[in-house]
Amino acid sequence: MQERIKIEMADLLLSYIALAMILFSIGFLGIISRKNIFIVYMSIELMLNAVNLIFVALGRYNESMEPQVMAMIIIAIAAAEAAVFLSLIVVLYRNKKSLNSDIFNVLKQKDTANG
Amino acid sequence: MVDIIFLGLAIFAIGGGFGMILFSQPMHSAISLIVTLISLGGIFALLSAPFLFMVQIILYAGAIITLLLFIIMFLNIRDDELPDEPNKNITIIIGAILLIPFNILILKAFNTFPEKSMNILGKDFGSIHSFGMELFNKWLVPFELISMLLLASLVGAVVYARKDKNRDG
Repeated sequence: MQERIKIEMADLLLSYIALAMILFSIGFLGIISRKNIFIVYMSIELMLNAVNLIFVALGRYNESMEPQVMAMIIIAIAAAEAAVFLSLIVVLYRNKKSLNSDIFNVLKQKDTANG
Repeated sequence: MVDIIFLGLAIFAIGGGFGMILFSQPMHSAISLIVTLISLGGIFALLSAPFLFMVQIILYAGAIITLLLFIIMFLNIRDDELPDEPNKNITIIIGAILLIPFNILILKAFNTFPEKSMNILGKDFGSIHSFGMELFNKWLVPFELISMLLLASLVGAVVYARKDKNRDG
């Protein structure tokens, strides 16, 4: 008679999903609560990583390699994003001497209808 | 044993994430983020993705966050230039309460999946060889498109960072 083996926490898909959701929520909270543009950038990175974790956990669950390739592509896109975002921060800081993300309203369109 | 490793890595990851959004200095936040990313790399290794574990440490902790730290040091920000965030803590608390239903929804959806052991697979699941075969057999076109994307972002970064000659100052 086979004894039922106790399933460990690290064996459950749900624990990985829960961790990923907590990290995603932390990233989201960082985006909505902080004004510092660097923290906003890091929160975006954290959210990308949480999504990566869900991909890899589901890939292990289905014993498929494809989600790992997708996670790799997400990492490459994050690297591309880093280059553009950081150079944008450098330009913005040079011109405005501030790291406040509210100064991004300089990107808004001028209302030409009222002259 | 695996349980202890998983719990330790999860605590480090969550602690690093909270440190990242709570520190006021961007430098401290970036170092907290490195803790989170390395812990996530360890969790990738637990999920039998050794190649992604390597990529996570080399590319994320080694390249992207180093670039970020370099930019933070390069700008040489003084304390009085940091934006003041008077509503930081209250926004975090209210936002966390509002996010709970969303998280419960996702977890309930995943709870319907049948239970299955997720112990570490041996052989070449996730190894460089099988990863490369997967990448170059099924994902060749996205791989080539990524090279175009990286080239475009490289050109974009150079265009942004160029000195504007028309405007003085």
